[in-house]
Amino acid sequence: MGGMLDDTLTWGNAFVFLLWGVVLLVLVLGFVTYAIYFERKIIGWMQLRIGPNRVGPLGLLQTVADILKLLIKEDTIPRKADRVLFMLAPALAYVPAFGVLAVIPYTQDLYFADINVGLLYYVALSGITTIAIVLGGWASNNKYALLGGMRSAAQMISYEVPLVISVVGVIMMSGTMNLRGIAEQQGDWFWQWNFLPQIIGFVVFVIAAVSELNRTPFDLPEAESELVAGYHVEYSGFRFAFFMLTEYVYMYAIAALTTVLFLGGWHAPLAFLDFVPGIVWFLLKFALVVFFLIWLRGTMPRIRVDQLMGLGWKVLLPLAILNVFVTAVYLELFVK
Amino acid sequence: MGNVELTGEFVAFFVFAVMIISGSVFMISLTKVVHMVLSLLAAFIGVAGLFILLEAEFLAFVQVLIYAGAVAILMIFGIMMTKHQEEEKATTKRAWQEGLAAVGALALFGLLFFAIRSSELAPAQSFEAGEDNALEIGKLLFTNYVIPFELVSVLLTVAFIGSIVLAKKEAE
Repeated sequence: MGGMLDDTLTWGNAFVFLLWGVVLLVLVLGFVTYAIYFERKIIGWMQLRIGPNRVGPLGLLQTVADILKLLIKEDTIPRKADRVLFMLAPALAYVPAFGVLAVIPYTQDLYFADINVGLLYYVALSGITTIAIVLGGWASNNKYALLGGMRSAAQMISYEVPLVISVVGVIMMSGTMNLRGIAEQQGDWFWQWNFLPQIIGFVVFVIAAVSELNRTPFDLPEAESELVAGYHVEYSGFRFAFFMLTEYVYMYAIAALTTVLFLGGWHAPLAFLDFVPGIVWFLLKFALVVFFLIWLRGTMPRIRVDQLMGLGWKVLLPLAILNVFVTAVYLELFVK
Repeated sequence: MGNVELTGEFVAFFVFAVMIISGSVFMISLTKVVHMVLSLLAAFIGVAGLFILLEAEFLAFVQVLIYAGAVAILMIFGIMMTKHQEEEKATTKRAWQEGLAAVGALALFGLLFFAIRSSELAPAQSFEAGEDNALEIGKLLFTNYVIPFELVSVLLTVAFIGSIVLAKKEAE
């Protein structure tokens, strides 16, 4: 895969790229299907319930049935909605979510794009989804949807700032914004991964990332007890499915990004374990982050809007800036 | 003009150019604020695409990052500060105003066209984009252009403090 990226683009190459894109899409859809299943199962266990267990063995086909239901449901568009934007918003939300997956390196050789500003590409594209969410809320012509959209924009923009600044420390340590380069420079022992030297950055990154994902405890844009369902209250059928899909694809993306930036990518945690292929380590760490996100949802209550802004601007941002400063001082005194 | 080779780069340039121009035209001609802001977004993304064609990935993604956030905020202000129950009434137009505007636009086009056609472009040198252009930009900013860079940051700080002071006054 990697070598072909440097060749000149021919029709044959383009076809192979397209094929790989489709393979990734199918894998991601599979991930989303079973991420939803495991989320429901795990939260069920945490709350001493059984979780889905009716459709298929162990309830494994529950999500498939849910998706089928969404796909054959009547597609309603409110009469007073802005038709074109209402239809555009789910697509505009999903396209960047899938686009950001291109820069994630899975192993040394398995990666889809090798951009030297990969990290920036990720952050930049994920900002477009915010616009789509505001757009969906506005086009629905519903006050709850609009409120959800507004909250989402305020939240995502104020948490994007600490998110970007918290990874600056990692960029300074590895001297590149290429995600492949960052993963490569972390060593084969777990204390050589970025999460220990960058512990402040790591904590800020995880909190800000959960907020960017609009998941509990930061799920204010769709707070079902106050806003019905937030920005997608008027959506049904496959347009609603697209918003749902966007959310879970971002979960995939953030879990993979955390693995690459802070948890050593495909490296083994102990150097003598490196006979196990890198992709296995990547998947294990990835699954760990996904489980952590689900665990968080089963544990935390939702925070209030005023607390949300205070946390973002008064706690996370100064901490992230402090991290950059400390990293700079350390690099200047001990590394140079 | 028939000597243009039909390469992927040319097609991409054409697509981005159409995106920028149509985005800007719609930005002016549409009536609802949200629609305008969205066409502005199309224009910005087109510009980012042109940066990528010029092998300036860093600029391209910073462009998307900054303007996508800015567009979202602009959209919120647009929604909060305008009435969107009623369509804006078409303002009464005066024929001579439109005529003058047309003449002005034509004159500007003529001027630009003349300037572009008559200017002698330096023979194309082989351009070497840096291996890592984010790194090169950073180096230049902190060596040759450090004073303008610091001045801009002072300006931003002043604007920041100013907006806080204004918001405080409003709250009292």
